[in-house]
Amino acid sequence: MLKTKSAAVSMLTLAILLSACGNNNNNSNDASASSAAPASSQAAASQAASGEKVELRMAWWGSDERHEKTQKAIELFESKNPGVTITPEYSGFDGYMDKLNTQIAAGNAPDLIQMGGNIKEYVDKNALLDLTPYVGSTINLSDFNQGLVQSATFDGKLYGVTLGVNSTSLMYNKALFDKAGVPIPGANWTYDDLKNVAIQLSEKLGKDNYALYDLSSDSGAFASYLGAYGKKLYDFDGERHFEKEDAVNWFTFWADLRAAGAVVPADVQVANPPTAADTTLVVKGQVAIQAGSASQLAGWQQLTQDTLGLLMFPSGPAGSGMVPPLSGQYITAYADTKHPEVVAKFIDFMVNDPEAGVILGNTRGVPPAGKIRDTLAAQATPVDQVMYDYISLVADTAPPVNWVQFPVDNELIALMKLTTEKIGFNAKSVDAAVDEFMTEVDKLIAKSKVQ
Amino acid sequence: MQKYKTYLAGYLFLLPWLIGFLCLTLSPIGASFYLSFTNYDLLTTPKWIGLDNFKSMFTDDYRMMDSIKVTLQYVFLSVPFRLAFALGLAVLLNQGMKFLGFYRTIYYIPSLLGGSVAISVLWKQVFDQNGIFNDGLAFLGIQGHNWIADPRYAIYSLIGLSVWQFGSVMIIFLAGLKQVPGELYEAATVDGAGVMRKFWRITMPLLTPVIFFNLTITLIQSFQTFTKAFIISRGTGGPINSTLLYSLYLYIKGFTFMEMGYASAMAWLLLVIIAAFTGLLFLSSRYWVYYSDGRD
Repeated sequence: MLKTKSAAVSMLTLAILLSACGNNNNNSNDASASSAAPASSQAAASQAASGEKVELRMAWWGSDERHEKTQKAIELFESKNPGVTITPEYSGFDGYMDKLNTQIAAGNAPDLIQMGGNIKEYVDKNALLDLTPYVGSTINLSDFNQGLVQSATFDGKLYGVTLGVNSTSLMYNKALFDKAGVPIPGANWTYDDLKNVAIQLSEKLGKDNYALYDLSSDSGAFASYLGAYGKKLYDFDGERHFEKEDAVNWFTFWADLRAAGAVVPADVQVANPPTAADTTLVVKGQVAIQAGSASQLAGWQQLTQDTLGLLMFPSGPAGSGMVPPLSGQYITAYADTKHPEVVAKFIDFMVNDPEAGVILGNTRGVPPAGKIRDTLAAQATPVDQVMYDYISLVADTAPPVNWVQFPVDNELIALMKLTTEKIGFNAKSVDAAVDEFMTEVDKLIAKSKVQ
Repeated sequence: MQKYKTYLAGYLFLLPWLIGFLCLTLSPIGASFYLSFTNYDLLTTPKWIGLDNFKSMFTDDYRMMDSIKVTLQYVFLSVPFRLAFALGLAVLLNQGMKFLGFYRTIYYIPSLLGGSVAISVLWKQVFDQNGIFNDGLAFLGIQGHNWIADPRYAIYSLIGLSVWQFGSVMIIFLAGLKQVPGELYEAATVDGAGVMRKFWRITMPLLTPVIFFNLTITLIQSFQTFTKAFIISRGTGGPINSTLLYSLYLYIKGFTFMEMGYASAMAWLLLVIIAAFTGLLFLSSRYWVYYSDGRD
C-alpha cells in the first residue's frame, strides 16, 4: 500500500520535472529566451561533428524589402549547400542593438550578425570572430576597395566584410516639390538655400504639409553642419571639436524654420518619426524632405507612388559637409560560433556570388565587389540608378575627411532628441537647452574615455 | 519513519518550485545586488566601483529626477482613480441587476488584456492626434490635443490606460461588499438612515481591509509599470521625459545604454522606495483599517 503511494508520488514528481524541461526546448529562436540556446547549440555541435547538418542563425535589420531579398539569398545558399540551414532573425533597427547586446551577454548571439558603424565597439568587447584566417582562401576580397577592408580591420585583424557602401543623405519626395513648383536644389546648395527652399515649399504646400522634418535631433545632420562650418563633431583624439555657439546656431536655425511653419511641429514629429519606412511622413506625402541613409531609398520607395530622390547635405563657408561614402553595413560573425568555416563560406557567398548579388541588389547600399557592381549596373531599375548616381556624386565631391563614429552613439542620439524636444515644445529656451546639451555631451565624452 | 516519508514527499513536490526559485529568482536577485556596485556593460566583465552608481543617481543624472517625478505623478494619480472607479462600480453592481455577470465580465476584461503590448498599441492609435478619441471630441465641438506626443498630456494617456484596467480591483471589492452583513443595512434602514449614511457608516468601514489590500497591491504594481510606457513612447520615455517611468528608464539605462550596473542599482533603489511606501501603508493601517473579527 505504502509502496504504491510513494511510487506514485515519485512518478508524478518526475513527470512534472520533465514537463518543465520539455517546455524550454520548444522556444522558437525569435523569442529572446536564452535558456533554449545552450540546448540547441549543443545539438548543432553534435550534428556538425557528424558532418551532416549545420544550423546557423543570422540577424540583420532593415525594412520589408531587405528582409525579402536577404531571405531569398539565404534560400539560394541553402540550395547550393545541402545540409546547411540558416534561420533568419530580422527586425527593424529600433531595438536591434539592445537585443544583440542581451544575446551576446547570454552567450547566445546569432552566428552571422549585420553590424553598422559601431563595429569597433563589438570588436573591443571580443564579441566578433576574427575573419583573417579565412581571407584569401574562403573569403575573396581582391575585388574590394582596400579602404573598405581597412575600415573593418583592427589591430591587423579583419572582423567584418562590407555589405554595401552607403552615405548619409537627404531623402526628398519629388512629387511634393513638383506640386509646389519648387525646383530641386543642386549639389552645391547652402544652408541659406535650404531655408529659402523650405519656406517656399511650406507656403505652396499648404496646411498639414511641411517642407522638412526637424533635423536638429539627427546626429548625422548635425555632424554634416559642423563639417560645413569647419568644425567637427568628434575626432580620433577623443575630443569634440565644436563649441556651444555652434550648437546654438544649429538649434536656432531649426527653431526659426519651425516658427516659419516650414518644419514638422514637435508633437507631430514625435508621433511620426522619420526613422521607419512605415511611420515617415515623406512616404505618406506630407513632408518633402527628411534625413536618412542612401540605402534606405529602395525600401521607402516601395511604399509610395511618389518618386523619391536623394540630395546631399548643404555646404557651408568651409565647404561641403559630406564625407566620402562609407561602409554602411558589415557582415560579421559571432566570436563563439560553432561553425566558423560555414559562416565564412556564407560571407563570401553574400558578397561575391553573382546570383546572390543580383538578388540582394543594393538593399544595403552599393555592393563593394566590383564584378557585382558591374552586373547590377547593367540591370539597374530607376530607383537603383538614383542611389548609384548619388553614391558616385558623393564619392566624387566629398572632401577626403575621416569619419569617426561618436563613441556612445545611443546616448548621443537620445540626448539630441531630448534637446530638440525641449526646444520644440518651448519647454526651454535655445540657450538654456544647449547649455544642458553641452554639459551632457562633455560627460559622455569623459565617460567614453574611461572605457 | 512515517513522518520522514511525509516530509520527503512534501519536499519532492516542492522541488520544481524550489529549483525555479533558487535559479530564476534568488540567484538573479543576488547577482543584481552584486552588479549594482559595478560597472557592467554586458559584454565585458563587471568592474567594481562601490557606491558610485548610487552617488551618481542622485547627483549626476539629469534624467533621474524627471523619471522619479513622472513616476510619482503617475502612481499618485492612477492608483486613487483606479481604486475609486473600482469601488464605485463595485457598489453599483452590488445593487443587483439583470445581466450582472455580463457587466462584471466586460469591466474585468480590460484588466486581463490591458497589460499586453497589443492593447498599448491600440491605445496609442486611439489617443493619437488623428485617433478616434479626438474625432469624438470634435463631434462635441472640442479641439483635441495630441494626447500621446505632447509632453503636457502624454502622462495622462498612461494614467488613463492604467485606470481603464480597474476590473481586477473591482472584482475584489465586489467580493468584499458581499461580506458586509445584510442585517446591518436593515437595522440602519429601520433607524432611518439614508443611502449615503449607510455607505459611509457601514460599507466603507467594513470594506477597509479590502481597500487596504487593493491599495497595497495596486501601489506596488503601479511603481513597476513598464509595457505601457515603452510602447506608447516607442521606448524613448516620451517627449522630454514626460513618460519616462522608472522601469522604462531602468530598461533604457541597462539595455540601450548598456549600463547594467547602474540599472541594477536603480532596481534596488526602486525596491527601497516601494518598501518604504508599503511600510508607511502598513504603519498607517492601524488607524483606519477596521477588522470586524475583533482584532482591535
